[in-house]
Amino acid sequence: MDTQWETYEVFHQSKRGEPHEHVGAVHAPDPQMALHMARDQFARRLNCVSIWVVRSKDVTMTDYQDGDFFARTTDKSYRDPKAFEAPDKLHK
Amino acid sequence: MNSSAHLNSSSEALSELLVALADDELILGHRDSEWTGHSPILEEDIAFSNLAQDEIGHALVWLSINESIGGKSPDWMGFERKWNDFTCSHFVQYPKHDYAYTVVRQFLFDAAERIRLQSLKQSSFQPIKEAAKKILREEHYHLLHSQGLVERLGGATEESHRRMQEAVDAAFPQSLGLFEPLVHEGDLVKGSGMKPSSELQEEWLGYVVPILESATLLLPTKKSNGKFIAVCAPEYGGRSKQHTPHLQSLVADMQSVYQIAPESKW
Amino acid sequence: MNEKDQEALLGAFEARIERGEKIEPGDWMPEDYRKTLIRMIGQHAHSEIVGQLPEGKWIPFAPGFRRKLTLIAKVQDEAGHGQLLYRAAETLGKSRELMLEELLAGKAKYANVFNYPTPTWADVGVIGWLVDTAAVINQTMLAQTSYGPYGRAMKRICYEESFHIKQGYDSVVALVKGTPAQRAMVQDSINRWWYPTLMMSGPPDTLSTHTNLSMRWKIKTKTNEQVRQEFVDLIVPQIRALGMEIPDKVCQLDRSTGHYRYTQPDWEELRRVVNGDGPCNKERLDVRRKAHADGQWVREALAAHASKSQAA
Repeated sequence: MDTQWETYEVFHQSKRGEPHEHVGAVHAPDPQMALHMARDQFARRLNCVSIWVVRSKDVTMTDYQDGDFFARTTDKSYRDPKAFEAPDKLHK
Repeated sequence: MNSSAHLNSSSEALSELLVALADDELILGHRDSEWTGHSPILEEDIAFSNLAQDEIGHALVWLSINESIGGKSPDWMGFERKWNDFTCSHFVQYPKHDYAYTVVRQFLFDAAERIRLQSLKQSSFQPIKEAAKKILREEHYHLLHSQGLVERLGGATEESHRRMQEAVDAAFPQSLGLFEPLVHEGDLVKGSGMKPSSELQEEWLGYVVPILESATLLLPTKKSNGKFIAVCAPEYGGRSKQHTPHLQSLVADMQSVYQIAPESKW
Repeated sequence: MNEKDQEALLGAFEARIERGEKIEPGDWMPEDYRKTLIRMIGQHAHSEIVGQLPEGKWIPFAPGFRRKLTLIAKVQDEAGHGQLLYRAAETLGKSRELMLEELLAGKAKYANVFNYPTPTWADVGVIGWLVDTAAVINQTMLAQTSYGPYGRAMKRICYEESFHIKQGYDSVVALVKGTPAQRAMVQDSINRWWYPTLMMSGPPDTLSTHTNLSMRWKIKTKTNEQVRQEFVDLIVPQIRALGMEIPDKVCQLDRSTGHYRYTQPDWEELRRVVNGDGPCNKERLDVRRKAHADGQWVREALAAHASKSQAA
């Protein structure tokens, strides 16, 4: 069957110490080829030291329509540093 | 140990080497760029275009060194030189045909280049040594990619196997032309430490034959004393400027716009 | 779902857009929003890959190393843009297989400007300069689009497209500074590309059936005429600064508005060409069909190899 292959999500680390960033997806026949395709599509001009590829169907994601999944509607000031007294030194 | 009189090859010998390297890269790069916009799938169009650009860029590197030792400018060499003054192998002149031929050609060429560049890293002529190091690093990805395609396409389906076998049948004798000895071969070996072409070919066979055979492809080679040797006639002629008619039309196309105003800038 | 729920969802959707927030894949969206975006993004993607051909034809003939390398890189970028855009459309539920099938069957539209021929080398520079300038103006506006994936793709594309303009302009300047034959090549090219480029921003909004919804849901934020005027105002001084002429005598600065007047392109011609009756429509699609057909065994073989390896 003639298909455009599966898609792989591409994550790109521009330099050591930085986090990997999602930059898009490539169609590829297998994971190794996906690395090649990702290198040529997403790292032609930009600095890159590492690429991860993950089959799109292996990505589990939250549902945008389920906004309540992230609900923080009651007082969470105990997580906010500004809500606490601190000695002056720390604010330098 | 060579005497100081032979610490380096003559500039004629070096020039011959540089131009042969450049011509192979430029003509193959030109053939590869014919796939831009026509590849089997978008992602491969993008990937293969990178290979084409790199090769043409490598030609520019070699021609720039050639200019620094008294040769003409890269643009003159590419766009004003007569087609029968080029010294590329026949191998790179042939039309791109189908993707099987293109991929097989690319793999055989990339492997040959790697082996040749590794040898040139030992060159006593500093500019060649430095260029070889840089180009070798870019070539790493080329070989990964073309080899990856060969390994996959060789035995994947009946059709891919048939096409890949046809491609190998055509390309293999042609590819031996990459190792046609240069006119100044002796000087280059003695003077700047280049390995003889026959030795490079032997190393190259040791690399490509097992890979092609694992990809279920048959080759006109046999093993003798633990080494692979080719049993088909090599297609020589390129280094002595005896070319196929394909080169003539390729160069005519390549130079046609430039020739509208060769003294002018483009 | 009852009508009241639908209304609530639509209200929330429009409020989100009003706040300047982006719509992401999986968000509830009106069917018209989804369909409009799939159509627009698909057309945009098709334009990029068909657009590889008019300039790609000149790769074997590019004069000199620098022009050769630059042109291969540019045409490669266009494939890259197509790739990004097809992916953005895929997030809305339409597969790349189906989009390509429609394009090759002649059922999908793409930017009309690529249905015109490129008979001379000067066309390569002029396209890079004029067509890509018009494209960037449009794309910069689209980078603010309400649909997240489309906006992200546009930002990346705009970054690369700005190089293309410079590359095209650089090539044109070299020709203008060259021989009389080179200069004449440029003027001839501008004469042929002026109106097709003006058409790129789309028909005047009075004639366009799509503008209303697109504006309301911030798929785009400027009208076709606004974008066209922006292009003319930017490019006319550039063309005249090179000593070249614009093939439109009406094209003069209106001091009261600060904008250049211009003659509208022939929209009847656009309709004809877009519907298949242009100089290169058939040729362009034939090339694409052949590439697709020739590549079928490769796609199938690589997929087959992957299945075998996984099974092993």
